[in-house]
Amino acid sequence: MKDANEYLDKLLQELRRGTITISVLSQLSEPQYGYWLVTMLEEKGIHVEPGTLYPLLRRLEKQGLLESKWDTEEARPRKYYLLSETGKEVYKLLIVEWQQIVESMSNVIDIKGGKMDGDD
Amino acid sequence: MEMIDRYIYAVTQKLPLSQREDIAEELRSLIEDMLEERVQGEDVTDNDVVEVLMELGDPRQLAQKYKGTKNYLIGPELFDSYMLVLKIVLISTAIAISITFIIKTIINPVTILDHFVELIVAFVTALPAAFGWTTFGFAISDHFGEINAKDLEIGTEWKPSDLAPIPDEKRQIKYYEPIVSITFYTLLIIMFVFSNEYLGVWIFQDGFSDVVPFLNNETYTTSLLFIILIMGIGITKECLKLIYGKWTSKLVTYIAIVNVISTIAVLFMINGNAFWNPDFLLELTQAGVITENSDGYRTVSMIWNQSTLWILVLLVVGLIWELIDGLIKANKK
Repeated sequence: MKDANEYLDKLLQELRRGTITISVLSQLSEPQYGYWLVTMLEEKGIHVEPGTLYPLLRRLEKQGLLESKWDTEEARPRKYYLLSETGKEVYKLLIVEWQQIVESMSNVIDIKGGKMDGDD
Repeated sequence: MEMIDRYIYAVTQKLPLSQREDIAEELRSLIEDMLEERVQGEDVTDNDVVEVLMELGDPRQLAQKYKGTKNYLIGPELFDSYMLVLKIVLISTAIAISITFIIKTIINPVTILDHFVELIVAFVTALPAAFGWTTFGFAISDHFGEINAKDLEIGTEWKPSDLAPIPDEKRQIKYYEPIVSITFYTLLIIMFVFSNEYLGVWIFQDGFSDVVPFLNNETYTTSLLFIILIMGIGITKECLKLIYGKWTSKLVTYIAIVNVISTIAVLFMINGNAFWNPDFLLELTQAGVITENSDGYRTVSMIWNQSTLWILVLLVVGLIWELIDGLIKANKK
């Protein structure tokens, strides 16, 4: 049998994939560049690899949820990302969905947890 | 700092042309941001660069993330060349078929309806075939390219010191060179398949009357198989150049093998009386182009008898030249 941690890693990876998208959208009502997002999310307890975040930003831009602009005024040119109009709308809907998921999930987990406790 | 350039090159060369530059610039600014945070105002050392690149991970995996999951037959790194080759193959096939129709109609205008039917049949059969074979070839390259990339990943931890240097401009193969060659091979194949009966000396007596063919009509089917095989080998070779994009010793080795195979195939096909038209001189005389025992006859007969040798010599010289040229370019520092 596989190690429990192995399963956990795989499942966590799947679970995180969606939440990272929401986290990214949540931070982009103001234009920001990629590495600022990495540090900002890290501070808030969400760990994202730059190697995951940068391709994700690009994909979201391609899907039309984000807009981007190069800022060449500063010493180092950086690409800034910002929610598009569609992105804002999608983000609003996503929060509502997310809250529902959290609610339903806590219901589900509570029942199961209770049963397991009983079995012990 | 050269390592950063190598890293960025390693990531972006796997990505579609249109995105390369933008991703390269964004990656560079990311790496600089990461370095800045790491050194906090101190000087950046090579070691810092190594650690930052380690944090970003294997460039192939990063490129994979930019590309997204594989749900395609021909990946983005080959797609641009695929579209280009496909267009050229389809256009040259269509042109060759049309030219064949025009020539046949000029030569024999009475049977224009037959030629027209042949034209339609050729379009319906040859165009999808050209499309299919091109796609098949690229799908195969893409498939094996993927497998190679995966083989390398197993059991090897990626290190920044693995990064290959950015190839010199001089070693790069201009993408249009193989494409021109592929077009040329395609045209030759089509010419041999559709209009073999017009391959020879045209005799005009009160307009067009006959052709004295170069090749032996009785063995033409076998010869045609060889010709298609040889041209196919040539196309494979050009595709290899297109995929590698630069001269490396590995590519030169492959080309050497391919060239030996095609030389053997040509030798096998051409060496023997069955390939050429055995009655060529006789038919020329009968058609009144040359008269026996004249100076003209002797010249033509000399050229005809030595042509096999000279074709072989030219071919071998050409193939060896290609190898030497490749070898020089591959070893350019």
